[in-house]
Amino acid sequence: MDASLLIVIAVGLFVIYAVIQYNRLVRLNVQVDEAFAQIEVQLKRRADLIPNLVETVKGYASHEREALENVVQARAASTTASTLPAIAAADGALTNALRGLLAVAEAYPDLKASTNFLQLQEELATTENKVSFSRQFYNETVRTLNTAVKTIPTSFFVGLAKVGAREFYEVDDPAARNAPNVKF
Amino acid sequence: MANFRALQAANKRKTFGLLFFMGLLVWLIAYVAISSFGGTGAGVIPLAVGISLISVWGSYYASDKLVLKMTRAKVIQESDNPKLFNLVNEVCIASGLPMPKVAIVEDPAPNAFATGRDPNHALIAFTTGLLDVMDRDELQGVVAHEMSHVANRDTLVSAIAATTAGIIALISDILMRMLWFGGGKNRDHHGNQMPIFLAIIPLILAPIAATLLKAAISRKREALADATAVSFTRNPAGLRAALEVLARDNTVVQARSSAVAHMYIESPLDASAASRLFATHPPIQERIEILRKMESNPLN
Repeated sequence: MDASLLIVIAVGLFVIYAVIQYNRLVRLNVQVDEAFAQIEVQLKRRADLIPNLVETVKGYASHEREALENVVQARAASTTASTLPAIAAADGALTNALRGLLAVAEAYPDLKASTNFLQLQEELATTENKVSFSRQFYNETVRTLNTAVKTIPTSFFVGLAKVGAREFYEVDDPAARNAPNVKF
Repeated sequence: MANFRALQAANKRKTFGLLFFMGLLVWLIAYVAISSFGGTGAGVIPLAVGISLISVWGSYYASDKLVLKMTRAKVIQESDNPKLFNLVNEVCIASGLPMPKVAIVEDPAPNAFATGRDPNHALIAFTTGLLDVMDRDELQGVVAHEMSHVANRDTLVSAIAATTAGIIALISDILMRMLWFGGGKNRDHHGNQMPIFLAIIPLILAPIAATLLKAAISRKREALADATAVSFTRNPAGLRAALEVLARDNTVVQARSSAVAHMYIESPLDASAASRLFATHPPIQERIEILRKMESNPLN
């Protein structure tokens, strides 16, 4: 009588424990999805800004064909990428192309002084920051999920929750590699 | 030790330790109350807890509205300052926090603060002086520092600190009055109680100790907010440059009061007026040094 009651309590406690661990894994997995959606929102915002930027720069520096072409091509490539590594690679290429275009623009005082460009400048600065912060936040969520997937006790419930380790969003960005900023 | 994760963990441990000492102080003062005043002493405790809870937690729940009144801050819309909203939005993306309300204080002294009872009711405010003198990276550092207070729930931590300090102050105050106006009679009836003159010492010292602990907790939360800000922006140089601007500046916020001093990024009070132990903020040069170490040695 007493022993069976103890067993019932023990099983009950285990079920509650399993539900908590299961929910934690599922919640972490959903957070990774949400963080990835945020990256896509910011990439879309940036892609939408580019035609306006290209037109503005063309008006003052039409013979900087290479820098302009790079941006247009990188933008086109980024809109067709579908897998995570492809999206990350296209994202990195577009970041670099944009940096190149803005470096070229430095040589044109008329362009830099134009109202259109001044308005775009703040938009570009904030969008670039939002893209990079959303990448960083995504990688944080992946790190938390992957740690949970690989460490005890959550690792016991990975099969049950049908949740696995996820891929990091890695951008090949030469500037980021040389920057003193913290990257893990 | 310049790693922001290690700094964050150490700061959290220290805050926890300080709150623990606060709890001990409450027990000490309650013990003194009961052992030297008997039944009346015990009756004082729920009274003090009640008054302190009502006053502090009332202001905690209405913190965003109350603070707006006390600091004369005005909530603004995105169209009023798109660049500031961009900066706040960036930090929200980096931290995963919801967008807070943004407010402006018409004041030439550069400063900023955060309030609100939880991340969904957060409010961050900036003085016009701050917005005028800082560039984009510096502003981003300040925004990240304020959002760190929101993320670390510093309004809650300071409400807990203020409540316990309030309980201690109230119990001491009531007991001191009882001592003056008839505590002696009490002693005559109960011979086994602690002598009154022994009770005076903790009654005087406990409120002072509680105030010191409250200030120490506030300083730890400021240091924690700096470390958390860097974990959001990964750019210690921006916040460091912003603190240098604040350190160079000598003007003080006009609508200042010690009641809201702990909320600002830099203490709005005269530095000379507050001694180091009672200060709500760590010395700004010390904060700049820690950020410098993070810049030069990001992976240690």
